[in-house]
Amino acid sequence: MVDQNSNYALQTSEVYVHYGKKMAINNVALNFPKNEVTSLIGPSGCGKSTFLRCLNRMNDVIDICNVKGKFLLNGNVDIYSPDIQVETLREKVGMVFQKPNPFPKTIYENVAYGPKIHGIASSQNELDEIVKDSLHRAGLYEEVKDRMEDIATGLSGGQQQRLCIARAIAIRPEIILMDEPCSALDPIATAKIEDLINELKENYTIIIVTHSMSQASRVSSKTAFFHLGNLVEYGETGKIFTKPDKEQTNDYITGRFG
Amino acid sequence: METAHTDKNFEQKLNHLTDNLIKMSNIVEKQIEIAVNVIKSKDSSDAQTTQNLDEQVDEVERDVRDLSFEIMTLHRPVASDLRLVFTALKVSKELERMGDHSRNLAKRAISISSSFDEDLTDQMHNLGKGVQKMVNQTLESFFKKDEVQARISWNQDAEIDRQYKSLLSDLIERMHNKQTSVVDEGTKPILIAKSLERIGDHATNIAEEVIFNITGHYIDLKKSDFE
Repeated sequence: MVDQNSNYALQTSEVYVHYGKKMAINNVALNFPKNEVTSLIGPSGCGKSTFLRCLNRMNDVIDICNVKGKFLLNGNVDIYSPDIQVETLREKVGMVFQKPNPFPKTIYENVAYGPKIHGIASSQNELDEIVKDSLHRAGLYEEVKDRMEDIATGLSGGQQQRLCIARAIAIRPEIILMDEPCSALDPIATAKIEDLINELKENYTIIIVTHSMSQASRVSSKTAFFHLGNLVEYGETGKIFTKPDKEQTNDYITGRFG
Repeated sequence: METAHTDKNFEQKLNHLTDNLIKMSNIVEKQIEIAVNVIKSKDSSDAQTTQNLDEQVDEVERDVRDLSFEIMTLHRPVASDLRLVFTALKVSKELERMGDHSRNLAKRAISISSSFDEDLTDQMHNLGKGVQKMVNQTLESFFKKDEVQARISWNQDAEIDRQYKSLLSDLIERMHNKQTSVVDEGTKPILIAKSLERIGDHATNIAEEVIFNITGHYIDLKKSDFE
């Protein structure tokens, strides 16, 4: 059921995803509370990344991928409606990937690119402000302020990932999707990203796919456990990691993989 | 049958933790049994045995503490594993205190004169038997993960408290009546009764831990719930 007057940034129900004949998501319903971090956990192939990619229609580019279900942004915008432009949707729902993927451009251009193509800035000064503010919010400004014209690929992995977060937030999204954003980073860079996630939730709703259960327990207030395309359990992160309702969840998070 | 951990090393450590608790429980149950019997037998070698067993209890408690710390540091347990480690630490502490009370009461029991009031001795012994039964059932509920039994055991504490108060009243009444054999022993019978009552309280705490281990919640148990 979709609640029209909800505190959810995104509501989904009756979600089915098939790759050709193979079912990847089986009747999932999951709502994402505003300004909270929700973790999606589960073993490889469980459907968590597929589900995440449904939330900003990343699966549209995969020909054999067939997505069905209800996806409502802010309780009333059907993100799969023919009236919705994918570009418009992605202004609202940004994404950060597993491997940092800055454009082979300058640090400045990486962040300015989104606001430019979406027409967010009306002047160069405004664009400069957006770039500076986004880098600030991503906790990167102090480290790069004197080399904004350097090529972004010269940054460290952790800095590149924070740049990608700056790039995502530069277009003022409401939701940020993160697909294993720290899996290629060392513990220090990971800690910085996690700290950043904690700060970003003040202004954004964050949905993060992670293989690290300790990361899920550290950064999120809600956790959803997927297995074989099914949503096995969803709840408060504190509860999931102390007394999950389902034995299958307990087995997975305690490392009983059968 | 619970699925085993994929990490065999972790699985072994958790099993070892449970084995230590079983070992500790067996020793403490034995200690209480002997101590309760000493109330009547006044056998000093049995009283010494409770002392010797106490040293073993302390040793296993240290093992439980160190192993729990190691598991938390190296394996970061969550969910049912975390609850087990958390419960193990708390239950081992309760068991250790029960062991101390058993040792102390046995030591006091042998110092009481053999001409001490027979009825009061019987009352102390009965109180001890009741406590012993409660402890056994509580520990069984822990190892069998039996929430219903844990609640039943918890409830038994009210009866233990009632017997304890009745025994104290009798002691005080006989002192008022200047019953010499009672007065001569001073506070010893009172302290024995108090030790037994405290063992019951520790068993109650264990019952609460058992319920937490099973449900993930500390139930706000009130005696009025059962009365």
